[in-house]
Amino acid sequence: MFSSLFSTTTIPALGEVLNFAQARHTVLAGNVANVNTPGYRLRDLSQTEFQEKLKEAIALSRSSAEPMSPGLASSEPGDVMRQVRSSLENLVYHDDTNIDLEKQVAEMTKNHLLHNFALTVMTDQFQLLQTAISERV
Amino acid sequence: MIPALDISTSALVAQRIRLDTVSSNLANLTSLARDERGNMQPYQARYTIFQTDEALETKHGAVGVKVAAVQTEKLEPLYRWQPAHPYAIKDGPRKGYVAYPRVNMTAEMVDALVATRAYEANIGAMELSKNMAQQSLKILG
Amino acid sequence: MTPIVSLSLTPPPAPSLSALPTTTATTGQPFKNILLEALNQVNTMQSQANQAVEQLVTGGDVNPAEVLTTLQKADISFRMMLQVRNKLVQAYQEVNNIRI
Repeated sequence: MFSSLFSTTTIPALGEVLNFAQARHTVLAGNVANVNTPGYRLRDLSQTEFQEKLKEAIALSRSSAEPMSPGLASSEPGDVMRQVRSSLENLVYHDDTNIDLEKQVAEMTKNHLLHNFALTVMTDQFQLLQTAISERV
Repeated sequence: MIPALDISTSALVAQRIRLDTVSSNLANLTSLARDERGNMQPYQARYTIFQTDEALETKHGAVGVKVAAVQTEKLEPLYRWQPAHPYAIKDGPRKGYVAYPRVNMTAEMVDALVATRAYEANIGAMELSKNMAQQSLKILG
Repeated sequence: MTPIVSLSLTPPPAPSLSALPTTTATTGQPFKNILLEALNQVNTMQSQANQAVEQLVTGGDVNPAEVLTTLQKADISFRMMLQVRNKLVQAYQEVNNIRI
């Protein structure tokens, strides 16, 4: 009963977004640290690939929502979302030989905004659940 | 707000390239280089050409900027009478003169100042974009 | 100087019951249906908000500010519904405590 408490909200998807944002932050910070290293190739985590995987995972988790009988043991409901984590390991290498520091910082800023957005929405969803449970508006 | 960040970033990159060319011009105030025919030619000032970057166009018509080309001037060199200089012209009407680059230092310094101010202005615009995105999170209280 | 003309003040006619605008949705409908309809509306708003968030996170062409507003609207309507439900439960308990 408790595992399906969250699967109808956007909390699992937002959790994966947070993971992605934090992983990408470390990769971009590594780029900034290596701005003067000779022969360094820019690394990045592909945001489009992550979004594709997330879309598939969401569709999969929605479609497998058959009515749960009490005897049905649901195998870890987080599993569907876990397949998104494979996109966090594929580094994308750019061919640019000159690292534009401004571009890297701008990407970090955009990533930061995405992270804060996901965090705020997730906190809001948790608060909504708590409101419903405590019945106190 | 997110496309605004990309547009400001393109401006930052372009202004830095402009500042790079100014630095190059100022550093090479008295430089000479040997061209393919073996003669010593003076350094010619470089200048950047900015252009709107259609690749960064948002759906409301805001465009970014890019450096289209870095072009070289073709100015008459400054000639100085230095017959003992190893690179003095050997023959012709300018025999004994050395051809130095004609770089207008004042104009280059002003260009550098303008590039710096534009850089700061774009950083200010980025700060505002970031601020707007953060403030919009307050909708959720 | 023109004299002040006495204003002909007549009290406005009292509104008659028949002139009151009656919402067509509530005439003749049992209270239970109104409640269920409201619950459905709140549920629709919640699922719309969830969809908007999912679209934004998977790279859809939605405005983040719009998504946040949709979320907040769903939030407020849910809290309103919860408060209405609390008041109903309270009223029911009060009625139960009436000693015959």
